[in-house]
Amino acid sequence: MFKFFSFSNIYSLIQNLINFINSVFFLILIIGLTFALVFSPPDYVQGDSVRIMYVHVPAAWLGLACFALITLLSILNFIFKIKNFYFINKSIAPIGLLFTCLAIITGSLWGHPTWGTWWEWDARLTSMFVLMIFYVFYILAFKLLNEEELIIKISSIIAIVGSINLPIIKYSVEWWTTLHQPASIKIVGSSSIHSEMLLPLLVMLLVFLLYGALIFLMKYKTEIIRIKKKNLKRI
Amino acid sequence: MIAEFILMNGYGLYVWSSFSVVLISCVALYLRTKKTLKKYENDFLIELQNLSAKEKNKVLENSKVAQHILAANTKIN
Repeated sequence: MFKFFSFSNIYSLIQNLINFINSVFFLILIIGLTFALVFSPPDYVQGDSVRIMYVHVPAAWLGLACFALITLLSILNFIFKIKNFYFINKSIAPIGLLFTCLAIITGSLWGHPTWGTWWEWDARLTSMFVLMIFYVFYILAFKLLNEEELIIKISSIIAIVGSINLPIIKYSVEWWTTLHQPASIKIVGSSSIHSEMLLPLLVMLLVFLLYGALIFLMKYKTEIIRIKKKNLKRI
Repeated sequence: MIAEFILMNGYGLYVWSSFSVVLISCVALYLRTKKTLKKYENDFLIELQNLSAKEKNKVLENSKVAQHILAANTKIN
């Protein structure tokens, strides 16, 4: 079982997954963009500006999901001391930062025609900004510190403290009066989004997921090579 | 019709800017990640070439990762 998770087996699996993503990515991207920009109808209030949702929402969801995963793996690493989680977290963090920044920028571009302002320090926008800051600190811990044990400790603390912000982001639109609309898609209960808009959104989510997975696999592969290079003489 | 599609009833600037920012950022991160990966692969191969023939064989026997990198690089060249 543990032999299966050796770097050699993971390396082969990574290569196969990269090849698979490369073979399907552009097809799904074209389908997603066609639905998002052509077939999906304009909103009856927001008009065509609603199309920004197809990049804003997946970016925001994955920005949050990446940080939640980093927190989970940091806690597991604290308890079980599985070093592999450290490398996984190191590979995920830049993707999470990119998606969070994109959610903020596209949200600002959506906010101007909808709310009449590029930015407002309200609960949802501010909590997303805080998430971005946590990502920056998390990545800086890897860049600025040299000792691996210290990096694990500091980055785990940043992740665990930062995770307090995740429910704040999720429920900010319910706890406070904000410019941001409440969630239209609910896992439990009925969603208020029409299927003609939900389908392109899900396809675009898949596109973002595949892109995130591709970058993660490439970064993780780089980490494996770095470790192997360091241990080359010991092999 | 094309003008209508580009202008998007006055929201074109916001919509196209959003999609462009996402596209440019994603392509930039992809290229940067790919470049770093390639650099580490090349560094690994250089280090491997610098080993003695005996050490090199031992590494290739024991490390599947080294075999993969060498095989991928040979295919490219």
